[in-house]
Amino acid sequence: MARTILEVTGLNKHFGGIHVTQNVNFTMQEGEQSAIIGPNGAGKSTFFNLLTGYHKPDGGKVVFDGRDITNRAPHVIARIGISRAFQISNIFPRLTVLENVRSAVHSHARVTMNMFASADRIGVSETQEALSLCGLVEKANDIAGMLAQGDKKKLELAIALAGKPKLLFLDEPTAGMSLEETQETMKLVDRLNRELGLTVLFTEHDMSVVFNHAKRVVLLHRGEIIIEGSPEQVRDNETAQQIYLGEHHI
Amino acid sequence: MKGRNMTDKGQNGPESWLRKLVEWGGLSGPILVLLGLGSLLVPVLVGRFWIEVGTEILVLGLFAMSFNLIYGYMGQISFGHAAFFGLGAYATAIMFREFTGGTEEITILQFFGALLAGPPVAAIGALVVGFFCIRLTGIYFAILTLAFGELLFFVVFSWYTFTGGDDGIQRLLPPPVFRDPTVYYYLTLAIVAAAAAMMWRITRSPFGYVLRAMRENQLRTRFIGIDVRRYMLVNFVIAGMFAGVAGALWGPFTRSVGPLLLGWQESGIAVFMTLIGGAGFFAGPMVGSIVYTFLQAYVTGFTVYWPLTIGTVILLIVLFAPGGLLGVIDAKLIPRILNRGGGEERADSSPKKSSKSKGTS
Repeated sequence: MARTILEVTGLNKHFGGIHVTQNVNFTMQEGEQSAIIGPNGAGKSTFFNLLTGYHKPDGGKVVFDGRDITNRAPHVIARIGISRAFQISNIFPRLTVLENVRSAVHSHARVTMNMFASADRIGVSETQEALSLCGLVEKANDIAGMLAQGDKKKLELAIALAGKPKLLFLDEPTAGMSLEETQETMKLVDRLNRELGLTVLFTEHDMSVVFNHAKRVVLLHRGEIIIEGSPEQVRDNETAQQIYLGEHHI
Repeated sequence: MKGRNMTDKGQNGPESWLRKLVEWGGLSGPILVLLGLGSLLVPVLVGRFWIEVGTEILVLGLFAMSFNLIYGYMGQISFGHAAFFGLGAYATAIMFREFTGGTEEITILQFFGALLAGPPVAAIGALVVGFFCIRLTGIYFAILTLAFGELLFFVVFSWYTFTGGDDGIQRLLPPPVFRDPTVYYYLTLAIVAAAAAMMWRITRSPFGYVLRAMRENQLRTRFIGIDVRRYMLVNFVIAGMFAGVAGALWGPFTRSVGPLLLGWQESGIAVFMTLIGGAGFFAGPMVGSIVYTFLQAYVTGFTVYWPLTIGTVILLIVLFAPGGLLGVIDAKLIPRILNRGGGEERADSSPKKSSKSKGTS
């Protein structure tokens, strides 16, 4: 029933002499919600960077939604339906929250070459929708750079959602958030996944978040996939415990 | 401050239309209305010399505003923008020369035909130069624009048979009706106002917000699906075209063009004007042009120390009002009118913010 939305085969990347992504094979079914875990420097962010066109892979192939996106530019990949939220919030600091989100709405609606219409009148409802999903309606006119850390991460998510993606990469979506905000954010992610069928792949250091919100967990270590499976399988795996989980006292 | 703001809220009377104007266009709203009305009256109020200064303010102000599409909105600094001003001026001047054949006689139709040649030639020049420059950002972008500007200057400077070399092209007399400074002033005002209105639309369009997004964060702009280089190039060409509009008006106004119009010092004038007025405001470069051009006309009347004067002015602005004159007014006035912070572009309005910010500070 479920369709393969992402298929990564034999992905490799070197930075100098360091092999940061080693022969990674990975597939995602449409509508799944999974997590990538691994110690710092395991290659999680690099993996996202390779899939979204920020880095060019040295070898391997990435197919998204039936299209080969290996070596495509970030803006091309974004337009065909992969959004990402960054680990360190990556926003437009001196624009308002609303303008931040609206930029992504406009890009998705392909109106960004329009030079004569008023930007205020295009994509109003889509912008409101993304703002309200992420709980940012009251902060719509605030300058994005002045937001608290947690709100910046929410904005990061709102920008990613505004592009109406089919596949969403979240790089530590709850880093810097309070416990409450973390729960709120992950509840939203669950809802998007359940109600809109959005396929989500996230990285996270907080193991309780991983085990409560991912149906499948992939453990990455030194650029290699060590094990993937249900949260329980990964938790009970001995190698996994040695590499990573042990440090986190599960 | 807060307390006083509260009392202003909901007040009607003379403040409510001002409030609407500010909500519509930031500080540039009232400034543009003021400038628009004021500029209509200039020829009534002053004599021939100052009418000509007024024309110069408008032309150079348009040139500086076109520069600010690249600087204030897109966040890249160009030190070669005069190349497009000069290309526009030369395109018009060469058409003039061909039409008149050295007789100083040109029909009104030919005159407007010559003016129309400026913007497209400047735009084509910007397309070629921009093709290379937009591959880089920051200081590398700036240096590359400077290099291309000087290259074009040298081509014009050396190509005697076509451009007149260092002699430039002289005797560009407009048709008799436009020789009157007042008439030429109003012609300039009409064209500059139309060009400014177009730029106003552009800066508030979705495209205009892509420019701001690229200024703020190019990486993020890519990841929302924007081909950054393509948009930078399109904006570079638009800015070049508007510089060409200003350039086209220049030759018939001063009756001659010379290669220095393409030089780095001419580019510097746009940078200076924008800094004086405030890069974070649509009207900033025009306000800067008023200050710069007026001051130049006034100061050179009694001293040769103009560079010293303008140097001091720039120094004071950069040190004490990095958001430009409009930045100062904005910080004082807008919070009272709107009960919130001003900063039309949120770019240079606050020294606290702009000291840390990149790009437009």
